[in-house]
Amino acid sequence: MASIFPSFEWLEDLSKKLNSDTKYARIARNWEGDLCVVIEPSGPLTEQQLYYLDLWHGKCRKTEILKDLSSVQPKFVLTATYDNISRIMKGELNPMQAMMTRKLQVRGSMAYMMRNVPTVLDFVRCAREVTTEILS
Amino acid sequence: MQPILKVNLTTGNTAEYIIPVEWERDYLGGASLAARLLYPFLTTELDPFSPESPLLFLNGPLSGTAGPTVGRFVVCGKSPATGLWAESNCGGFWGPELRFCGYDGLWITGKAERPVYIWLNDGKLEIRDAAAVWGKDTYESQSIIKSEIGVPGTHVLTIGQAGENGVLFAGLLCDHGRAAGRTGLGAIAGSKNLKAIAVKGTKKIPLARPELFAPLRSTANRALKEDNLSHVFHDLGTASVADYADYLGAMPKKYFHSGTFEGVEKVSGSTMAETILAGTSACHACVIACGRVVRLEDGTKRKGPEYETIVSFGPNLLNDDLAAITRLGELCDRYGMDTISAGGTIGLAFHLFEKGVITKKDTAGLVLHWGDVKAVEQLLHLTARHEGIGNYLAQGSKRFGQHFEAEEEAVQVNGLEVAYHDPRGFSGMALVYATSPRGACHNQSEYFVVDMGQADSSLGLEFYDRHAGAEKAANVARHQDWQTVFNSLVMCIFANVPVETVLALINSACGLDWGVEDLFCAGERAWNLKRAINNHLGLTRANDKLPKALLEPYQDGGSAGYVPPITEMLEAYYTARGWDPETGKPTPEKLVELGLEWVAQDIWK
Repeated sequence: MASIFPSFEWLEDLSKKLNSDTKYARIARNWEGDLCVVIEPSGPLTEQQLYYLDLWHGKCRKTEILKDLSSVQPKFVLTATYDNISRIMKGELNPMQAMMTRKLQVRGSMAYMMRNVPTVLDFVRCAREVTTEILS
Repeated sequence: MQPILKVNLTTGNTAEYIIPVEWERDYLGGASLAARLLYPFLTTELDPFSPESPLLFLNGPLSGTAGPTVGRFVVCGKSPATGLWAESNCGGFWGPELRFCGYDGLWITGKAERPVYIWLNDGKLEIRDAAAVWGKDTYESQSIIKSEIGVPGTHVLTIGQAGENGVLFAGLLCDHGRAAGRTGLGAIAGSKNLKAIAVKGTKKIPLARPELFAPLRSTANRALKEDNLSHVFHDLGTASVADYADYLGAMPKKYFHSGTFEGVEKVSGSTMAETILAGTSACHACVIACGRVVRLEDGTKRKGPEYETIVSFGPNLLNDDLAAITRLGELCDRYGMDTISAGGTIGLAFHLFEKGVITKKDTAGLVLHWGDVKAVEQLLHLTARHEGIGNYLAQGSKRFGQHFEAEEEAVQVNGLEVAYHDPRGFSGMALVYATSPRGACHNQSEYFVVDMGQADSSLGLEFYDRHAGAEKAANVARHQDWQTVFNSLVMCIFANVPVETVLALINSACGLDWGVEDLFCAGERAWNLKRAINNHLGLTRANDKLPKALLEPYQDGGSAGYVPPITEMLEAYYTARGWDPETGKPTPEKLVELGLEWVAQDIWK
């Protein structure tokens, strides 16, 4: 898997990774909920991008690039600028640090999120592992 | 700032004290300014329970404004529990109301002949008989005094029976259940026969540049309301962190002796939100509202527990009953006892009972089995009333341990019980607990959130692994300085407000033109001043240590096998701080650098 982030191919690779990674399958075995990653334009990214993933019991059931959020009501919406999210993907910015220092906005059920922080962190690990090239 | 009103309870005399302008500039307010004001009076000879012992209630330059989470005030003095610097800050509405009276602080000395309460109505002070409320709990006391005064909007800060009876971890409560719990300041009030202070004011809070302050605080509040952490605290309370802290092995169980507890998920902030939560409560002008309102099986709405109370009476005692934790927390609030120290000291009793150090002979037949909520409740009653084994529990875990010749088993630092953020889960807390000016305190730097990820580069903080060692010492020191600024404003530490916003608010409120490093310098100055106070009171490097339990690795859980390398961390910390490694005192050079030459002459003579 070697696809540029962000792209449809990258999203597909992430889906394959989530569906084949045994560690993720174990940690996320109780996770029930879809999420949308909203990437706000900054740096080389000139337009907002929305990446939708339906995650269920350690698997990814569906992915889609959306035009806006009108067609879905995801359990979580994660929003960050391209610069910050690419730093997360490159391993330069810890996702918890991003969330706690105003670099990554999280909206959704906080009770569910705080109970499942390890799942979220392992999701990011998988995303990082399929990210071999970043838009620059 | 506005004057401080001095009240001598022995004579009934009052006097206005004008704070020197240069002290306002150097210390800002709150606990930092209190340290400067009280420095000459906190001597080794001073008995905290003597009439001469000062009890200083102080606001900060932002307190009571509509700024972000600045509804807090601080109480300071010499701790009867530790014999060292005492400070405990408190939310609610009482502090702002005091400022609306035209005073930024109340400085109480002396001892009334009989129980009294103070009634401050704008600029007019009365010392009133408190016979009707002496012996009442804090909730009853607030209600009775408000009714007696009859002025709408009055806020009452009061002690409970624990403060009256000299429990060394007695606090003061206002606005129902908002507590200044730590270091035993409620017992000092009790020693003065001071039951309560009621305040109601109508004056405006002075701001140096109000035209700049107003838009700044609006922007700051809007930004704070949108912040992730504000959402987390609003939705789940401070116990939001419970699940993750447990996963990381940073939530103590079984009095810091177990890394796991099967029922832990039943007591988290998430569980509370999904079960008994009935609403939220907020302090003055707070957009977060982390306070919990819960409804138990009796249908009554009551204050819900925050993280420390949950762990103290929950996993710490192997209890997974959230309703029982709520009731035990309420019992402490009503008696006016700090829940961290109460649960910690009772945890030691359970631990020593299990080890056979204490037996049913010591407890008048009471069996202390882990998770037995009724036994915990009974011990709380005995503690507040100073009855039976409660006589020893009321003195805190250090003295309780000493009495049973097991002081080394007490999880405390310098006489203050360790809060429930385990240094084996977050190594930064090792330095925080070992060097805090008031004993094992998490509010002088809640570094666990930095270890978790809140390493804000705009503060000059780096993100280290939660189990990193000496390399994070300078980071810890810098975070302590930052939190000392918060404790001078007095701003809630849960507010994730950017440094440039805090700076702009201070500059506009105080008429300063500071940069970020000026803020950190003020924080560092106050941190060193409190250290010097403690050096003056006998604290040396030997006091900077962790209790035995925290240096033994857990066998299971998220931090199994790890102990913080405290010796190496302290070496690096002293270097970062500019403290003498032999004595633990700030070096004369460091004190001069911070404008504390007069302190250098004092502690190095």
